[in-house]
Amino acid sequence: MPAAQLVTAALETFINSVLQLDEQSQQRLLPLAEKQLCVELQEFPWPITFVFSDRIDLLVNSDAQADCLMRLSVQTLPQLQDNSQLTQLIQDRKLELIGDIHVAQSFSLLLKELDIDWEEQLARYTGDVVAHQSMQLFKSAQQQFSTRMQSFGSMLSEGALQEKRIAVAALEVKAFNQQVNDLRADTARLEAHLNQLFIHKK
Amino acid sequence: MSTTDQSNQTHFGFKNVDKSQKASMVAEVFHSVAAKYDVMNDLMSMGIHRLWKRFTIDCSGARAGHKVLDLAGGTGDLTARFSRIVGERGQVVLADINNAMLKVGRDKLRDKGIVSNVEYVQANAEALPFPDNHFDIITIAFGLRNVTDKDKALASMYRVLKPGGRLLVLEFSKPTNELVSKAYDSYSFNLLPKIGQLVANDADSYQYLAESIRMHPDQETLKGMMDAAGFEQTSYHNLTGGIVAMHRGYKF
Repeated sequence: MPAAQLVTAALETFINSVLQLDEQSQQRLLPLAEKQLCVELQEFPWPITFVFSDRIDLLVNSDAQADCLMRLSVQTLPQLQDNSQLTQLIQDRKLELIGDIHVAQSFSLLLKELDIDWEEQLARYTGDVVAHQSMQLFKSAQQQFSTRMQSFGSMLSEGALQEKRIAVAALEVKAFNQQVNDLRADTARLEAHLNQLFIHKK
Repeated sequence: MSTTDQSNQTHFGFKNVDKSQKASMVAEVFHSVAAKYDVMNDLMSMGIHRLWKRFTIDCSGARAGHKVLDLAGGTGDLTARFSRIVGERGQVVLADINNAMLKVGRDKLRDKGIVSNVEYVQANAEALPFPDNHFDIITIAFGLRNVTDKDKALASMYRVLKPGGRLLVLEFSKPTNELVSKAYDSYSFNLLPKIGQLVANDADSYQYLAESIRMHPDQETLKGMMDAAGFEQTSYHNLTGGIVAMHRGYKF
């Protein structure tokens, strides 16, 4: 069985199902119409080409020349959501980009602006009241979880910094770094003096 | 090759028939199965035919603006996908010798909203009604084995393909493993006609399908036929243990 085609078929179905949940995604697909974006993930055995129309088709190992080619790692993928990060990612050598950067930017924008109204989606199956209450419950649980995680984090951090003294505060790290930088500069100056002395002695 | 020893005879499954009769006999088969064609394809291949077709499109190098001929395109599986890839500037021609299949394909694609860049042509692969050097890509998926004179059809495809264009032939072939071959024989001669009888109320057509697959040239023979027609850099890729093979050739 062609495994690559099976994987891309599943991925394509997933992507288009998600896009369908956001009515505005059709509009955001327009600038990408008839474009092809080839993505080579380091961890993935085959390059995947995204073909844009009123939906996204995925091709694997396509030898058609794409409008834009991106080489990156899976870890870098979430950072693609931020359009302004593209240049920084290229400078940091986390992203190799060949071809039309506008295709990459429009794709990044498509991902970033994906806005799915989960309450509306749920209401299709459960009705408005149940969907609204479920979402309120979910949001409140999410908020509570986030608050608890925050207080747990500060408790851990205080314990490590103040009571057990097994970690150092950010300011202390900054001061230490400054001291290291000063020492490096002093050493460089001393080295320069010594070099001059050796030159005069000769 | 496609013909038997007597030059006016050809295969129709395991039977030898007059060349002039084959087209109408094949037409009868497809008239009979057209309505249930997609369901039967999914049932018979357990949905894997969709992956074989995806593989063919992946190998096509199609892009926006291309002109594609989906020959023996049947119910339009390849056409639907090509239509999105080539976009408004491109064109896909869905051609089939069988009017019933063409009608099912046209209805299916129109229901999906695929209308703007697709044309439908009832055409015989042996005498394609298109100008020379016209298409960037030609595909023929599970259609070549039904063609009466395959060499003539390949020559006709070569003529209408643009220099630099490519032909992709997706067709049943010869399994590479002996065990797979035996299991496949048993499945296609015993189970397949029964599924055909149950779902499409037509065991004979599916008996023909199994027989026509066995009579179709194997991988190397078909590659040789493509070479003889003038195609260059011909190659093939076995899929699912050689049950199906995708042949590719270029015109330079």
